[in-house]
Amino acid sequence: MMDLNNLTITWLALPLLVGFGIYLFPRVDRPFATLAALGSIVYGGSAIARAEPLTLTLLNNFGVSLLVDSLSGFFILTNGFVTAAVILYCWGSDRKTFFYTQLLVLHGSINAIFLCTDLMSVYVALEVISIAAFSLIAYPRSDRAIWIALRYLFVSNTAMLFYLIGAVLVYKANTSFYFEGIQNAPPEAIALILLGLLVKGGVFISGLWLPLTHGEAATPVSAMLSGVVVKAGLFPLVRCALLVPDLDPLIRLLGVATALLGVSYAVLERDSKRLLAYSTISQVGFVLAAPPVAGFYALSHGLAKAALFLGVGSLPDRDLRTLRTLKLAPWLGGAIAIAALSICGAPPLGGFGAKTLTLDTLLPWQVIPLNVAAVGTVIALSKLIFLPWNPYFAALKLPFRGAEDASVQASHSGDLGADAAVLSPAAGSTAAAATSAPAPGVGLWLALPFLLGGLAIANGFYPQAYGLSSFLKLAVTLGIGWGIYGLLPRSLPLQLPRTVENLDHLIGAMSLGLVILFWMVMP
Amino acid sequence: MLEACVFATILFGFFGSVLKGNLAMKIIAMDVMSTGAIAYYVLIASRGGRLTPILDEVVAGEAYADPVPQAVILTAIVIGFSIQALMLVSVMKLARDNPTLETSAIEQSNRP
Repeated sequence: MMDLNNLTITWLALPLLVGFGIYLFPRVDRPFATLAALGSIVYGGSAIARAEPLTLTLLNNFGVSLLVDSLSGFFILTNGFVTAAVILYCWGSDRKTFFYTQLLVLHGSINAIFLCTDLMSVYVALEVISIAAFSLIAYPRSDRAIWIALRYLFVSNTAMLFYLIGAVLVYKANTSFYFEGIQNAPPEAIALILLGLLVKGGVFISGLWLPLTHGEAATPVSAMLSGVVVKAGLFPLVRCALLVPDLDPLIRLLGVATALLGVSYAVLERDSKRLLAYSTISQVGFVLAAPPVAGFYALSHGLAKAALFLGVGSLPDRDLRTLRTLKLAPWLGGAIAIAALSICGAPPLGGFGAKTLTLDTLLPWQVIPLNVAAVGTVIALSKLIFLPWNPYFAALKLPFRGAEDASVQASHSGDLGADAAVLSPAAGSTAAAATSAPAPGVGLWLALPFLLGGLAIANGFYPQAYGLSSFLKLAVTLGIGWGIYGLLPRSLPLQLPRTVENLDHLIGAMSLGLVILFWMVMP
Repeated sequence: MLEACVFATILFGFFGSVLKGNLAMKIIAMDVMSTGAIAYYVLIASRGGRLTPILDEVVAGEAYADPVPQAVILTAIVIGFSIQALMLVSVMKLARDNPTLETSAIEQSNRP
């Protein structure tokens, strides 16, 4: 029998080997890629089941150090599920082997992040992630895809340069790159490292690069980016918060701030994919808000968000106002609603246990803001739950909706410039809309049940969640959220400006973030 | 003094990548910044001494440079180089439709 250390290293190398291997044998790319992803599911599951953590130091004192515990297990499981679902989704498409190679390189380097406990291995893995994600985003080779990919690479590389400077300062203080060394490092080192990880993880202001990238990338790539790639930035933060108690309050505070920021953007958003991207920012906040239980939340969010991106990417339009006037396929709409309900925290899905566990692990000062954020999540995702995918929701006339629909209809016939152009004249007649829609291939029907099944299984990780108090809390959250959703006019006149998403501002904001972080970590 | 020069390089690179309007110049400015970061590693490696850390015949009491940051930054140099290459290739692709490479113009035309 192979011992655990060798097994871990073999498993770590497997996606990279398979990834480059299938480039030589393009005929078997998809089956082998799926097998590599399934391998991660098995390994992640066994890591959760194993009680004691496994520590590994490769070479000697300055070598790579790995730590496998249940926290890594949850993140690895997320990675395996989402990657497998994305491959299944792409099964029927005409994507070349290059795509799957990059996908597996991405998968393998994300796995590496979830094991590493030293700053340098994390740096290398994060940079490989940037390159692989760049190739995936730029895969369509259109001008816009290349620009979005270039922007992503530029932002993340600048952030990683700051991280690199921080890492050497930690080395200077400890003559080692291990995470524990952060304890003794000067405040500027901590600020630099945190900045790098916050940008990669899409946290707070430094995460505002994320909506455009996740919104404009191709559907399976968005699912991958939102489902797991942001977690690669989060995991080192969570690990640091657990290893270095001094950092824990700061990480929790950042989590709360991120949850509120993301939710307030999401509530005001009209575009379905950007709505999901903003929701990712807010969910990232929930993951950080309670580091000890971050793994479970990351798992349930990753599965649900990947399902949402795959589902929403197959809808005939992106604008929520247009979608409300269409008649949607019941199965697709139902699957989207189930995934959205999981993010809202409804049973019997993984989101229920995860949200209950996270809200139970909060510090007293976090409780009120995070419950507000939970209500905001419900309001934002209601836009997707109440799309007219069944006759009842189609007939549902909430207050203000009649007037709103009328104005949408009016803008059809009228000449309201850009808005009228977005609302295609096909709205209302499903036959015409179906021709313009990307036909949801057979891959979608493999991927969605897979992800939703994963969510149902994830529900079993925390059976203690099923108590009267958590049901009551959920009922109140959903009630308030749906109540506000019903009362709000369907498209708010207020739209937040997108100026902050310009490349210059994103890079400039990093210097501000650095100063703020420096003041926060000053003893 | 050397440390101040290194930080000046990093800052020049950073502000160049914020303030320059041309995309190619932004990327080159980022390269300047990464040169600064690499130089900082080399500087820290030479804290204890400047002799090449290769043990030929053991000389006691010699001040060797610290090999670890040097080894580590070698990886970072390779990564930085490949990222530069990727970015410049995409700039070449973008230049066909946006010959001036003004970042704001590219941003305008690629906004949803």
